[in-house]
This record gives sequence, structure tokens and C-alpha cells, in this order.
Amino acid sequence: MQQKFKRSPGELINIVTMTEAFFLQENLPAELRNVVDLAIEELFINMVTYNTETSQPVEIQMLPFEDGVEVIMTDSDVERFNPTKLRHVNVDAPLEDRQPGGLGLFLVLKMVDSISYQYENRQSRINFTVNGKQHV
Amino acid sequence: MFDIGFAQSTGITVCGRLDAANAVKAQAFLDKVEGECVLDLSGLDYISSAGLGVLLKTHKRLMASGHGVKLINVRHHIHDIFRYSGFDKLFEIVSATN
Repeated sequence: MQQKFKRSPGELINIVTMTEAFFLQENLPAELRNVVDLAIEELFINMVTYNTETSQPVEIQMLPFEDGVEVIMTDSDVERFNPTKLRHVNVDAPLEDRQPGGLGLFLVLKMVDSISYQYENRQSRINFTVNGKQHV
Repeated sequence: MFDIGFAQSTGITVCGRLDAANAVKAQAFLDKVEGECVLDLSGLDYISSAGLGVLLKTHKRLMASGHGVKLINVRHHIHDIFRYSGFDKLFEIVSATN
């Protein structure tokens, strides 16, 4: 299943609709949905927030495999930004030192089972998998 | 779907998906809350970092006046997100019984 989305947080509802349809079509365990939804949202919001020099839509492709889901997100006409490089978030910091923001990509890297990044011809391509054996 | 509102028995109920698209609505509601804030999350299906930011901002504001946010009826998969993000050390959290 493959679809393009405008660069707006308002598109999240349409992305969720796509994910829901994909899980139904492929008869995938509902327990994986939250991890897939979270990873897609965090990566999508990161793209539309920081890659502001383009108006190209973000393409999302979902593929089933034996034990889970593979998601490919493609952002065109953008600068290189590798979200798979771990950013330090001190989750043990006291309340006074914690600030809203910065957790999104940290959570993605924590929750998906594999993630890779490719950049070519001003196109960013993020590929991640969520494995049913790890999450169900 | 997302909804936030006052409930008679449990304080404030938060239902549906607290994502980046709904975080503004949640923050606008919680910015008006004063004193001890109990959030019943039994109907919360999903939370992302945008939603975590709303909770953190509200908690910090209320803690400054000696109160804070208490999270009750937290479902297992939502609790996992709190644990990964270290929020289980910042908030008083009561898990859902089932």
C-alpha cells in the first residue's frame, strides 16, 4: 500500500486511515499498530517541520512481511537529515531539567526493530521495520 | 478522534489519539486547569511525543505552584511510552487494572 501526503500535521488523520486499512487488509496484529503509528508520526512531523524548503508530498509505503511491517517514507527535494543517528535524551533527568520536545526520534529508535536512511538526488528515504515477534 | 473534558468522578478524561494534530487542543484545555490535576487516561488509545510535551508542560506549570499532574487508568501500551521516555519517574502514574 502506497500513498502521498501533504506536508501538514493535519494529514495525520489520513495517515492513520491508511495504516488502519493496511492492517485490516493484511490481517496484522493490532498490537503493532501503536509502534507503527508512532514511528510514522514522529518521522512525518520531523520531515514537515524541518524540511520546509520543499512543497513535495511525503510518500509512505507499507509492506507486510512474515512477522511484521516494513515502512518506507520518502521525502523529495530536501537536504540530508539522518534521523537514525541517536540523539542523547536524558530520560533520567529531574523534572526541572526536562523540556517538551526532542523525544520523538528518540522514541522511534527505541521502539522500531530496524531503521535505515538513504540520501540520493536530494531525496531522503527512511526504511523501518516493526516485528510482530518483538511486540506481540 | 480526540476528546478532553471534565468528568464528575475522575477529574479530567482524555480519550482517543493525543498526537501532533490534537496537541494544540489538549494544551489549550490544560492551560486553564489550576491546582491538582488528575487525568483519567482509560480512553487514551495513542500518545506521541507531541502529547508527551503537553503533559510535561502542564505538569511543570502546576508543580511550580505545589501541585502537579497525576495520571490514572493508564493502559499498558501507553505506560510503555511513559517508561521509554522516563515519564514514569516524573509523574505519579496509576495503571489500568486490566
